[in-house]
Amino acid sequence: MERLDTISSLQYFVPEIVLVFTLMAVLVCDLVSKNRAPRERRLLIVIPSLIGLVVALSYSLQGSEAVSAGLFHNMVAFDGFGQMLRVIFIVTSIFVLLFTLHSNELRLVHHGELLVLLLTVTVALIWMANSINLLMIYLALETVSVASYVMVGYLKTDRLSNEASLKYILFGAVSTGTMLFGLSLLYGLTGSLDLFEIRSALSSQEVVASSGPALMVILVLVLAGIGFKMATVPFHFWCPDVYTGAPTPVTAFLSVGPKVAGFAVLIRFFYGGLASPSEDGASWAMVGSVDWQTMLMGISVITMTLGNVGALLQTNMKRLLAYSSIAHAGYIMMGAVVLSGEGIQAMLAYMIIYLFMNLGAFLVVIVVHNDVGSFDIKDYAGIWRRAPLLTIGMGILLFSLMGIPPFAGFLAKWYIFSVVIDAGLGWFAVIGGLNSAIGAFYYLKILKTMFIDGSDTPEPSTPLALQPLYAGLLLVLIVPNIIGLLLWGYLDRVTEFSQKLLDAM
Amino acid sequence: MIEYVGVLMFLAAGALLAAAATTVSGLVAPHNPTREKLMPYECGENPVGSPWGVQFNIRFYVFVLVFLIFDVEAVMLVPWAVVLKELGTPALIAGFIFIGMLVLGLADVWRKGDLEWVREEERAALKTAPKNAKAA
Amino acid sequence: MISLEHYLIVAAALFSLGLYGVLTRKNAINVLMSIELIFNSANINLIAFSRFVSGDTEGQVFALFVIVIAACEAAVALAIIMSLYRILKDVSLDEASVLKG
Repeated sequence: MERLDTISSLQYFVPEIVLVFTLMAVLVCDLVSKNRAPRERRLLIVIPSLIGLVVALSYSLQGSEAVSAGLFHNMVAFDGFGQMLRVIFIVTSIFVLLFTLHSNELRLVHHGELLVLLLTVTVALIWMANSINLLMIYLALETVSVASYVMVGYLKTDRLSNEASLKYILFGAVSTGTMLFGLSLLYGLTGSLDLFEIRSALSSQEVVASSGPALMVILVLVLAGIGFKMATVPFHFWCPDVYTGAPTPVTAFLSVGPKVAGFAVLIRFFYGGLASPSEDGASWAMVGSVDWQTMLMGISVITMTLGNVGALLQTNMKRLLAYSSIAHAGYIMMGAVVLSGEGIQAMLAYMIIYLFMNLGAFLVVIVVHNDVGSFDIKDYAGIWRRAPLLTIGMGILLFSLMGIPPFAGFLAKWYIFSVVIDAGLGWFAVIGGLNSAIGAFYYLKILKTMFIDGSDTPEPSTPLALQPLYAGLLLVLIVPNIIGLLLWGYLDRVTEFSQKLLDAM
Repeated sequence: MIEYVGVLMFLAAGALLAAAATTVSGLVAPHNPTREKLMPYECGENPVGSPWGVQFNIRFYVFVLVFLIFDVEAVMLVPWAVVLKELGTPALIAGFIFIGMLVLGLADVWRKGDLEWVREEERAALKTAPKNAKAA
Repeated sequence: MISLEHYLIVAAALFSLGLYGVLTRKNAINVLMSIELIFNSANINLIAFSRFVSGDTEGQVFALFVIVIAACEAAVALAIIMSLYRILKDVSLDEASVLKG
């Protein structure tokens, strides 16, 4: 691996630089357009943001050369894994940016700061996913957190939004503080902040012998911070409340962006600092005195079970999707415990498919809320008669989330389960399968409400108001779920590329 | 430890001298208090309420917040300034980008009217309904 | 002579106090103060380790960043508490209980 200094790092850092300058430009545009008409002003901030994001996306799609380097004196990694995640984050931001445009919840507030915050979080997510230094991990994680606290509380006059924001910030600050304490102890144990130096320190026998239970304590503390971002048990308590209170576009963003970044940090931290790669680079072996593989396995099982069981009782759509996202975090975690490149690839494939199905589901929630003005599942009754196409779309998304065969969600689950079985953890895959079966209940409950309930009322039904922009976005989000089987070869190739490059790290 | 004894003696001598001066002037000076003389300010506003339970205007809060952020961000500039000579031009440019971002933040606060004692919207509200606004 | 252990004990005590405060306090401002304790306990650790274990300045730089981040977080948290106070007229966490289930 190459270790680059500040100047020579910049060539691999173009998308981030573009995003930083975009967010500064958007802030300036917002300030100078203060006295213009709201509609005109919104265009003046939305268009530069979109241009910046698209330019950054086109740059990140180019970087396919097989380079892997430690940028800025080993602060930030540049490898296939990171490039892949960079694309995921930017795509998520583009979708969420478009979600905010016609959302009724955000109709009365000015979007300027929201877009600046969104861009800030996007940049910070990219850093978070690529940090290979404890300082950088903490810094990026906090940048993501602080900006998303404000995004959650963006509706200043709305009680729920404020309450969600307060819960998020108190929970988040405690989790990251706990993680910070763990990081400081790790620094003391190994004498370095660089993950690879930590790995070599932990590989030596005397450190292992002298550390005793210290490493165990450190890992528990650090998992508090990472688990908070991934929303895994036991750091999931904030998740349902925050998802319910936040404006729905922000919820959609939180359910994908920080979660994926949390898993990226998990991989970087554990595979980079606490495991050493094999000769061919296709698998890892744990170093140090702690069996963290079992620890992650336990978290994964509890997370998916609690997520699915919690979702069964929900009557609010956003709360239900929050619990469903907790369950999905459990499934994604399965890929992290097998300690192989295949596992990472399966995780990435799952995350990409999850992006489409989850953002799609939240977009349907936004569309229904725009017309009905409610998030209660019982108010979804009779949507079928008012908007058949939307209902079918939601059906596809929910079947995909369930993991029913022809749709992409099935492929994601199947891939991750098969990797787990290959690693000789058959029982683990069985638990995952059982959980998917529980999950089917609540997804089907929504479908039943939408299709069957309220269909016997004789009142004439007016078609549901659906903005053309949202219709187009829904199409973009749903189609990959249908033709997932056809795209599989492509997805496999793309994610494999990311897996191979991580090995060179 | 022994080298600090001088400091201690200096402090003690200072305290003694000050105490002596106030005691002597208290004994010697004529004592003839009137109501006006006992006020904190002879020709200012009359203070209301106890000095211990001062209620700060909530508007100070925004200023404190803004000050806090910029104050703490400035901490980052101190180590930068110390090693600037060794690091050379790239560090100089990086530092100025950092300062530029801070300036942008300040411009944002300024333009949004948070540095005004009475904001524009509030001023407009005051003009239309002066009595209500005062009562609130 | 003050050794590494002394610093670590102080830091661990501060961390425990902070965590205890977070779990028991009902007032949002008090919780925030407890969180600051947690951050500062980590700072003590970092600086002590930087002095006694690694011998470089990495830990001290880390502590500086932590101070900055903690200030930003406190500012945002206070702003959110203020905003909630305008709606609820109370900063007790028991009042912020519409979201549950």
